[in-house]
Amino acid sequence: MTTTLIRTDSVRKVFGGDAERVTALDGISVEIKTGEIVSLLGSSGCGKSTFLNILAGLLSPTGGTVQIDGHAPRPRREVGMMFQRSLLFPWRTVLENVLLPAEIMDLPAEVSRNRAEELLTLVGLDGWGERYPSELSGGMQQRVALARVLLPDPDLLLLDEPFGALDEMTRESLDIELARIAQLTGKTVVLVTHSVYEAVMISDRVFVFTARPGRLAGIVDVPFPRPRDLATSGTPEFAERVAQIRSHMETSL
Amino acid sequence: MTIDTLAPETAEATDSPPRGWRRFRGAIGAVALFGLILGVWIWAVESGAVHRVILPPPGDVAIALFATFGEGFFYHHLWVTLQEVLVGFFIGVLLGFSLGAILGTWALAREIAMPYIVAFQGLPKIVLAPVFITAFGFGMTSKIAMAIAISFFPLLINTMSGLMTVDPESIQLMRSLTASKRDIFFKLSVMHAMPSIFAGVKTSLTLALVGAIVGEFVGARSGLGFLLNSYSYQLQVDRVWAITIVLATIGIILYIGIEYAEKKVVFWSAQRAVEAGM
Repeated sequence: MTTTLIRTDSVRKVFGGDAERVTALDGISVEIKTGEIVSLLGSSGCGKSTFLNILAGLLSPTGGTVQIDGHAPRPRREVGMMFQRSLLFPWRTVLENVLLPAEIMDLPAEVSRNRAEELLTLVGLDGWGERYPSELSGGMQQRVALARVLLPDPDLLLLDEPFGALDEMTRESLDIELARIAQLTGKTVVLVTHSVYEAVMISDRVFVFTARPGRLAGIVDVPFPRPRDLATSGTPEFAERVAQIRSHMETSL
Repeated sequence: MTIDTLAPETAEATDSPPRGWRRFRGAIGAVALFGLILGVWIWAVESGAVHRVILPPPGDVAIALFATFGEGFFYHHLWVTLQEVLVGFFIGVLLGFSLGAILGTWALAREIAMPYIVAFQGLPKIVLAPVFITAFGFGMTSKIAMAIAISFFPLLINTMSGLMTVDPESIQLMRSLTASKRDIFFKLSVMHAMPSIFAGVKTSLTLALVGAIVGEFVGARSGLGFLLNSYSYQLQVDRVWAITIVLATIGIILYIGIEYAEKKVVFWSAQRAVEAGM
């Protein structure tokens, strides 16, 4: 049974004072179901990150309503956010970084520690816990950030171009891994990206945004079976979805 | 590889470390330079280029230094100055950090205080010495006050600017993890500011020594500054230089102590250099 986890109605966000108003988002009404993987796709400045920050409760909308699990969005344990940069603290070891949410949320120490070790294994960093972030490559640092966001076991993952700063090869492999982990743990994922490929590879549905003001240009279903791998991206169906999304993006310009 | 192996020495060593005697070439050069300075010093005095009353030969200074060490009252003066410096430094650091923390986290307080900060920054703090002597007398209190007044300020500035340069996205991360303001301050901001704070602490330490000595120059009955002044009036220039060497040594030892603490506390700063090189 699938239930609606996120429901937004005519969400609008305006930045700036009276003199220089910028409408970042306008009329965003969407529903996202529990367990779904959704991508927010659009060019830079289309307000997709703003929308994600509103879902995270880090920004409040200027107009419209947002409900997550029946509540107004606010930072809480059930919602985890991941950023484009790993934002690891250089004074903490990898393990201490992963345990940061546990300290802030007062989670039981021993349980959290065991879980952190498990998560490091899950993201392929078994045995790296005592290292410092500066000893890790960019891709590895982002894996640590993934383990950190998963530590409090959130139901909803909000990912703001989490692999955007990485090279394409690393990004593709992390994308596949992320989708695998999300499926494995049954999490709902909202992913901001500007890569059409990434969006089609990971998502159940792709929300295409237009730029300035950010509006919804269209929603594309991606009904490919999981798990997907690199071979999926070679199929004609994959190319068809990519073309469909591109046409949405072009008409929106 | 453990954290210890990431100290700056090994960080630099990643591009072909010098081998054999070359590893010591810096130290050898330093000793050679010391020999050169001594040579120029001796030559300047013996040739008559500089009068012996202004600059006695190194031998005389060395003799005066050992004679000073042999006199009981020297240790009394040394102890007085050390207390003034350390107490002044300690209180100055507490004061500088606290005020810097308030101004670094509270924008309104910063806006209110900014004109005064700018004014105080421009003030040559030495002019306060006579005021403190008048207010607190010839004892240690006035010197401690002077050490505090001159040493708290760099730490205030460094703490404030360190706290103000925290990456906004890291704060967003903390907020998304339901962090309180207190969590954000202690787990992120202070740690981020730590390298800057330590740089301020090092400056403060040097200035605390300056403050105490200036205070003693202006009015005191004991302390190394007082002793140096007395020797100066008596034209015992070799003793003046001996005390100068003692003061320099105190400064160096305290500085090394802080640097050691810095390496232990702000270990990741050296790592950051490694990261930048990757």
